[in-house]
Amino acid sequence: MTALGKLFLFAVLGFLYLPVAVLVAMAFNASPLYALPFEFTTHWFEELAGNDKLLAATRNSVLIAILTTVLATVIGALAAIALSRRRFRGRTLLRLLLLPPIAIPWLIIGTAMLVFFFWTGIGRGLHAMVLGHVALAIPYVVLVVGAGLNNTRIDLEEAAMSLGSTPLHAFFAVTLPLLMPSLIAAALFAFAVSLDQFVISYFLATPGVSTLPVEIYTSIRKGFTPEVNAVSSLLLAASMILIIIFARLTKVGGVSGRR
Amino acid sequence: MSEPQSGAPARRGLSPGAVTAALVTPAYLWLTVAIFLPLVAMLVFSFLTAAPFGNRAVEFTGAHYLVFYNRPYLVEVALRSLALGAWTTGICALIGLPAALALSRAFRGRTREVLFFLVILPFWTNGLVRVFSWTMVLRENGILDDIVRAFWADAPSIGILYSYPAIVVGLVHAYLPYMILTCYLSVVAIDDEILEAARSLGARAPVVFGKIVLPLAAPGLIAGSVLIFVPVIGSFMEPRILGGTAGVTIGTVIEDQFTQAFNWPLGSALSFIMLAVVLVVFAVFSRALRGRLTLS
Amino acid sequence: MAAVDAETIGKSYGATAVLDDVSLRFEDGRFTSLLGPSGSGKTTLLRIVAGFVTADRGRILIGGEDVTSVPVWKRAIGMVFQSYALFPHMSVDDNVAFGLARRGVRGAEASRRVGEALEMVRLSGFGARRPKELSGGQQQRVALARAIVTRPRVLLLDEPLSALDRRLRQEMQVELKRIQREVGITTIFVTHDQEEALALSDHVAILDRGRIVQAGPPGEIYERPATRFAASFLGDANFLEGVVAEGGVIVGGVLVRTDDPLPAPGTKALLAVRPEKIALVPAWGAAPAGHNAVPATVRQVVYAGAASTYLLDGPGGVALTVFAQNRTGGPVAEAGATVTLAFPPKQTILIKD
Repeated sequence: MTALGKLFLFAVLGFLYLPVAVLVAMAFNASPLYALPFEFTTHWFEELAGNDKLLAATRNSVLIAILTTVLATVIGALAAIALSRRRFRGRTLLRLLLLPPIAIPWLIIGTAMLVFFFWTGIGRGLHAMVLGHVALAIPYVVLVVGAGLNNTRIDLEEAAMSLGSTPLHAFFAVTLPLLMPSLIAAALFAFAVSLDQFVISYFLATPGVSTLPVEIYTSIRKGFTPEVNAVSSLLLAASMILIIIFARLTKVGGVSGRR
Repeated sequence: MSEPQSGAPARRGLSPGAVTAALVTPAYLWLTVAIFLPLVAMLVFSFLTAAPFGNRAVEFTGAHYLVFYNRPYLVEVALRSLALGAWTTGICALIGLPAALALSRAFRGRTREVLFFLVILPFWTNGLVRVFSWTMVLRENGILDDIVRAFWADAPSIGILYSYPAIVVGLVHAYLPYMILTCYLSVVAIDDEILEAARSLGARAPVVFGKIVLPLAAPGLIAGSVLIFVPVIGSFMEPRILGGTAGVTIGTVIEDQFTQAFNWPLGSALSFIMLAVVLVVFAVFSRALRGRLTLS
Repeated sequence: MAAVDAETIGKSYGATAVLDDVSLRFEDGRFTSLLGPSGSGKTTLLRIVAGFVTADRGRILIGGEDVTSVPVWKRAIGMVFQSYALFPHMSVDDNVAFGLARRGVRGAEASRRVGEALEMVRLSGFGARRPKELSGGQQQRVALARAIVTRPRVLLLDEPLSALDRRLRQEMQVELKRIQREVGITTIFVTHDQEEALALSDHVAILDRGRIVQAGPPGEIYERPATRFAASFLGDANFLEGVVAEGGVIVGGVLVRTDDPLPAPGTKALLAVRPEKIALVPAWGAAPAGHNAVPATVRQVVYAGAASTYLLDGPGGVALTVFAQNRTGGPVAEAGATVTLAFPPKQTILIKD
């Protein structure tokens, strides 16, 4: 039974990683038609350097991701502090309101943003995408930082106050240092959410201003070359690295650690 | 020493209510502008005869909500979208639960942690890129054909790109980690002693599975199913890339209304009908989902 | 150092009154325990004294000064928390120096006082360690050092020993008492453990459902409980209910005498006797002169080495308990035997229900 189970799990992992491996391999294959046999080249990555459109899209993606990270982390962390440390009426409702951005299909949210932003004159473009990405990232930040706050016991702040700290000093001297890993994790997560976001960006992009995923989508639909594989591989690597650091900080992989 | 204060100890000029409001207002203001008001705007839009841009005269109408009556072919498209959700969810469950069981029972300690992480890692990478990667595998004379022909040189092509099954493969690949994750969190909590107790009472393996494992895994199975079904019926990029002309779903129809046909009110109405379906699904399964809509 | 006064403190959460008009004086330098079951309001009272909770009514005075509206951080208290609440990201030294720094004591003066405090709790040389590198008992000592190093006016202890195992707990009781004596600090100690309260306190206040049932030195409360709750929460007690008659109370047809002044004949009365105050007299023997003599039937004998517990049915079927030392090498009476219970009227206490 155990051997069978192991075999099955490895088959599942093979299914999950095979196409991704193919994608990356083809980025290093000389044939523009994805033909075998495999012939190693870095030609497609070199091509990238001269592709102004993709470079501009990459710059936009990174810029949006940085802005999203800063804004979502600060705004989300403030809300997380209130939601997990202060008792007030409507707290349950506010917690529930974090779910729609996570649970409603992005297609619906993206089209709704398009309608509203167009209607109110906010328009499309970089600022609109930042507006949208931050909204998608805030709930995740609140969840990650909130979990961190719940692990930081309230009696530590009380202890600091009994020793003469004002609530503000207690927060900065005791809670904030202990919260740092969660804050960094939340920031990384926000960055990854923004960098990988396609649907929202797709509806809010303009012909002149788009992001890397939108540009990749356009390329795929218009007919593509291994250049797309090359840039996709880079995007894949970036998000994997972010998530690996995130997991280290929050010990997500350690869910199974006990026993 | 004493100050003219009378209320709670935290008071220092600002009332606790004001502090709380100051902390939550930025986040919820942002969500209001970027999520909630857009949804309201789209609802209003869905009742207009045309998009109110320029000097066009518009009126209120409920006609867009009769779209399935007026355009019967959309009924077929909607059913195909729901079927897509059902197929994807079902296959994910059939693969995901055994995978979760294998992960929780056949591995221990550090190995299990690493494998668990490897399973969920793809989920947080770019979905578009992962769908794209299947085009190279599934197309005629693609990698799949190469693999088959390595064993049987004259095999006919089994490339299934631009077909309904191709969409299902891509969607299963996209959402399988979610099912394994939710199932794993349920089954890893099952104590070995419970299974041993069942066996000591005379239960054979199928009975242990049916009477013990399945009921205890049910919350994870249900949570995973809902969290897969909902985004799948709203998918449009996967059907477009993998389905070609076979890939017409409600998602792609909505996309078309906004990017090609520019019938925004109709697109809004379709989005809202989909949102209604989503809300019904969430309402029905709200109990099973409680506390599970988090990261892990 | 200073005395602490709680004056007519009231606190409700919604419709539930957690504290109902509680007044209590914590004398200067005295070790006072707040003893009660969970939900009795003892922790809430401590947190009101600390300043974490604001009372709905009443005042808190520390050293005669009204601190009711003074925030926690200005009250000059020291507190030890149930979970110790040591700052995990700071060394032991930094934990202890935290309160000093808040009071402007830094540098050489601070390290001198940190050293003194750690010496007092016998943890010299542990200053560079992190809290998680210490055992539970050591963490407890650091928490105590951190609380007293600032020379607070009052030391508040919120069930600090409850997380320790039994042996360590007894060891820490001795330590805690020693340190409290050395420093001479007014101490308020919250506990639900009666033995702990008896062993440590100069003064005990028993709380029940938000009210103080009885307050006084431990010996006095044990020997002269005022109510059924006080008698049963602090130690074990037998209760004899009856009607007042000439010279005593008639319980199930048997006259039981007490030295306490009795109400008018004919009214109902409740008497309490501690199980160790009762002597078991075999059926053929006689009770000592002047003692109450109550017939009973042994239901069960629970042998526990040094002593045995006898469970008996008394007059009118009332359930009674007797503790007896095993001096003779065997039980005084077997189950089913009829015996006489002898106890002096002086130890038969009239209590309120």
